[in-house]
Amino acid sequence: MIKEGLLYTKQHEWAKAEGNIVTVGITDYAQMMLGEIIFVELPAVGTEVIYDHEMTVVESTKAANDIFAPVTGKIVSVNSALESEPELINKDCYNAGWICKIEMASDASLDLLLNAEQYKQHVKGFEQQ
Amino acid sequence: MAAKAPWGRKQMVFFFCSVRGLSKVLDKKTVLFDRHVALGAKMVEYAGWDMPLNYKAGLVQEHLATRSKAGLFDVSHMGRFVFRGRDNLAFLQHVLSNNAAALNVGESHYTIIPNDQGGAIDDAYLYRFFEDEYLLVVNAANREKDWNYFQKVLKGFDDVDMVDRSRDMALLSLQGPLSRSILAGLIDSGDSGTVVDGSMPEPLRNCLSIVTINGARVLLARTGYTGEPLCFELFINGEDALMIWDLLLDRGAQPVGLGARDTLRLEAALPLYGHEFGLDPEQKQISVFSCSLAKFAVSFSTLKGDFVGKAALKKQFEAFRRIQYRDYSLAEDLPRIIMPVAVTGKGIARPGYRVFASDKHVGYVTSGTMVPYYKYVGEGLQSVLTEEKQMRSICLALVDSDIVEGDRLEIEIRGKRTDAVVVPYHLRSEAPPYARPAAYDNLFKEKEPVSTANDLQAKALTLLGKAVDNTLWRQGQCVNLIPSEQTASSLTRALSIMDPAGRYAEHKQVKAFAEADVFYYQGTDFIAEVERILEEQMRIFLGCSEVETKPVSGQMANAAVFSSLVDYINRANRKSEQRRIGRVLNHHIIKGGHLSAQPMGALRDFVARDPNTERPAVVNFPVLAENPYKIDIAACREIIAEYKPELIILGKSVTLHREPVAEIRSFVDEMSLDCLIMYDMAHVLGLVGPYFQQPFAEGADIVTGSTHKTFFGTQRGIIASDYKRDDVRWPLWEAVRRRTFPGSVSNHHLGTLLGLLMAAYEMNHFKDEYQKKVLANAKAFALALKEAGLDVAGDADIDYTQTHQVILNVGYGSGPEIAGRLEDNNIIVNYQAGPQEEGFTASGYLRMGVAEMTRFGMQEEDFKSLAGLIHDVITRKKCVRQEVTLFRKRFLDMRYCFSGKEFDNVLERLHRLI
Repeated sequence: MIKEGLLYTKQHEWAKAEGNIVTVGITDYAQMMLGEIIFVELPAVGTEVIYDHEMTVVESTKAANDIFAPVTGKIVSVNSALESEPELINKDCYNAGWICKIEMASDASLDLLLNAEQYKQHVKGFEQQ
Repeated sequence: MAAKAPWGRKQMVFFFCSVRGLSKVLDKKTVLFDRHVALGAKMVEYAGWDMPLNYKAGLVQEHLATRSKAGLFDVSHMGRFVFRGRDNLAFLQHVLSNNAAALNVGESHYTIIPNDQGGAIDDAYLYRFFEDEYLLVVNAANREKDWNYFQKVLKGFDDVDMVDRSRDMALLSLQGPLSRSILAGLIDSGDSGTVVDGSMPEPLRNCLSIVTINGARVLLARTGYTGEPLCFELFINGEDALMIWDLLLDRGAQPVGLGARDTLRLEAALPLYGHEFGLDPEQKQISVFSCSLAKFAVSFSTLKGDFVGKAALKKQFEAFRRIQYRDYSLAEDLPRIIMPVAVTGKGIARPGYRVFASDKHVGYVTSGTMVPYYKYVGEGLQSVLTEEKQMRSICLALVDSDIVEGDRLEIEIRGKRTDAVVVPYHLRSEAPPYARPAAYDNLFKEKEPVSTANDLQAKALTLLGKAVDNTLWRQGQCVNLIPSEQTASSLTRALSIMDPAGRYAEHKQVKAFAEADVFYYQGTDFIAEVERILEEQMRIFLGCSEVETKPVSGQMANAAVFSSLVDYINRANRKSEQRRIGRVLNHHIIKGGHLSAQPMGALRDFVARDPNTERPAVVNFPVLAENPYKIDIAACREIIAEYKPELIILGKSVTLHREPVAEIRSFVDEMSLDCLIMYDMAHVLGLVGPYFQQPFAEGADIVTGSTHKTFFGTQRGIIASDYKRDDVRWPLWEAVRRRTFPGSVSNHHLGTLLGLLMAAYEMNHFKDEYQKKVLANAKAFALALKEAGLDVAGDADIDYTQTHQVILNVGYGSGPEIAGRLEDNNIIVNYQAGPQEEGFTASGYLRMGVAEMTRFGMQEEDFKSLAGLIHDVITRKKCVRQEVTLFRKRFLDMRYCFSGKEFDNVLERLHRLI
């Protein structure tokens, strides 16, 4: 399921911008491919993150997967519910399974992200491999 | 570890298999492939096989379902080789590390396929379902490698027929607390012709049987790779596999994929080839003894002889042995060992991550992930499984061999170090039916801090008050049915605390003084006389010529006899190491044998090791299939002929039948065996006589017993024989005297010795009435329980019992709960594992005895009323505490003991004296 109205990265993160705050999570396709999420390494609030650089890690029963920052900025809040319930990402990746919120230093990178239609094409490419 | 991911950079895939690409067609499918797909499994490639990683429920839920219910695994991808031919054993002894000759038909064991350098080519399980055939199960990923290696080695053997059955034989694994009942409900039984070998394997790990399920033959093993104490693996002909898979799912098993199979084995700290065996992350060979399981999987028995890798393994073993004592002088032969490690910081320890101790790089994680577990609440036996899921991060690590349990470590996770600690285990399997998680923060209970408050006077008063309450409750309100207990009479109890109590009277017969008893202390004339008369009274009671009364318990009496036998069989040889008892025939503990006759109990240091099995040289009495409480006397004769035991121990703690003493005596005599027939009469000592058994008249050499079960107390032990001075075995009796004092006791508790003399007077005076009444009450009680609708164990033809005991089957695993419920209703019994149960925590039986309550005057009719109350508690779950208390009030006066004014007067004087 790909949600309309969100922005996406090629590494399967989603981003939702509201003012200069961007909420970040991983896509339904990502959670499906990862399988059961058993651990989320939440970044520390205040950490500076850079567009397209590793920001944190989500681990499933079979893999550890880097999460890349979709924008440059500073972490302003994290979803601490994931500490005890990492499976929220499997259950509801676009809402209850959000990972963190970033205060953008600049909104320039938003233009580099994919829209829902572009991301759909991107995923289709993988499925045909 | 394939790192190819469908997206992104820097994704690390840790799982041991890769997701099946859509276009790739794998030729290796198990016979159950379509079932997996139909069940919605996520299929992956593993060792060339198309296998289910997990089903719709997902790995976490499948792991938990196995631990709480039953998981069903298709493991047909594993390699299965069958070995036949004259030289099959010689070949297996050569290529495997364990002692294949130790396997009897119906047994299996874990083994390593070692290489010349002390590493593992593979690890495997060897099964012996048939006399002339061995079945070896190897890892799927190593099947071809193992096969080719064996083919090469086979050239050196004349007559070995090795067949790969991996394709035509399916292998299912059924694991978890419900696995036993699921299987039991499916095994055909009753109709002769369909049953190949009866029913379930014996309730011990690694035991095998051959059964039929819905007409299909199944080779059934109590083995597995999950740590579950209730575990089965089923070898099935390919054409029957779908039918049996479906049946098992119908009965409630849940399909489980390879993903949870891996987390379950990790939690059980079981090794996986490629992780804990094979090459380490530095591409160095992992030593076989790095895995502590090697202790059980490598045999250096002289009977096994030379085998591939023996020299290298022996070196590792020497190092391993020293490392256990923290002596690292040979550590270069075993530089690293595998330890279970709990991650206490945040994160998951994945294979290949580096491990540090105080900043020193000490090794690597070999397997690790986050595993789920259900929380238990409550303490000890009362703890119950909840459905509250928790997760914990655990791993196995290959670390320097001087790392020990409790050491704090750090694991480098993506460049950051996280805290970890070496733990003794992650899971415990000794309390069936459940495997219990041992989380790091709940490994053991810390002792409560010692109270330093200086209020000992108040504490003393509290203690006295509680002792009064307890006595009033147990003696005035409870019906006591523990068959190993007895209340001693007031006279016996009073005498037990009179003056000789607290004193010493060590003495022994000295040959220089014509065997006169010489005492070491003064002031002992009275107790000397008591001991002499007690021996006389016990000789009269038992019908024999010799009795030793100094042991202070039945277990001590048994240990003293075993020690005496070792002394006796070495009497011609006082210079070299004294040999142990060569072969013992006894009752298995799960068939009602007593602890004191087991290698885990008093026998341990006196019985030899069988060089073939490398286990204590003990064989067990065979029991009747239709009545496991009774010795199968025909089969017993064959066992005696085959094993020629040096010691036979009759007598049990779950005892419904007379022991076949006369038959055993006739076998031993007819075969001219040099064998000691011992009857441990602990439970039935008070029944000795014409209504039960007369052990010496029937042919026993030695009788031991405790004096407080059916006998009238106090709590002590005795040893008796009918040897005369001119018997060839008289020196054995002399050894019994020596091994009792000074061998077992210095102070032989003179107070209870005095009490026991009163009990012996009472017994010899009242035994005729008492014994008849106990035996009649037991039968009446058993029949009444049966009539009430309860499941009484034993043989209906003898009214279920020939002793004071009655055994009730209350359902698998229900024993502790029902015994607790009865206690809440003031009925005291003990729960007991039955002949088909895996351990005391899985007990489904109650053991009851009528001796004590008979002594308090209960008659057949009263036991019928009691049976009704018990039925109310067990079946109707009624509260009858009030009724039981009132019932007990009718039985407060002790019978079968001396009474009357003259006794009352002296009892009062005794009271005044303390």
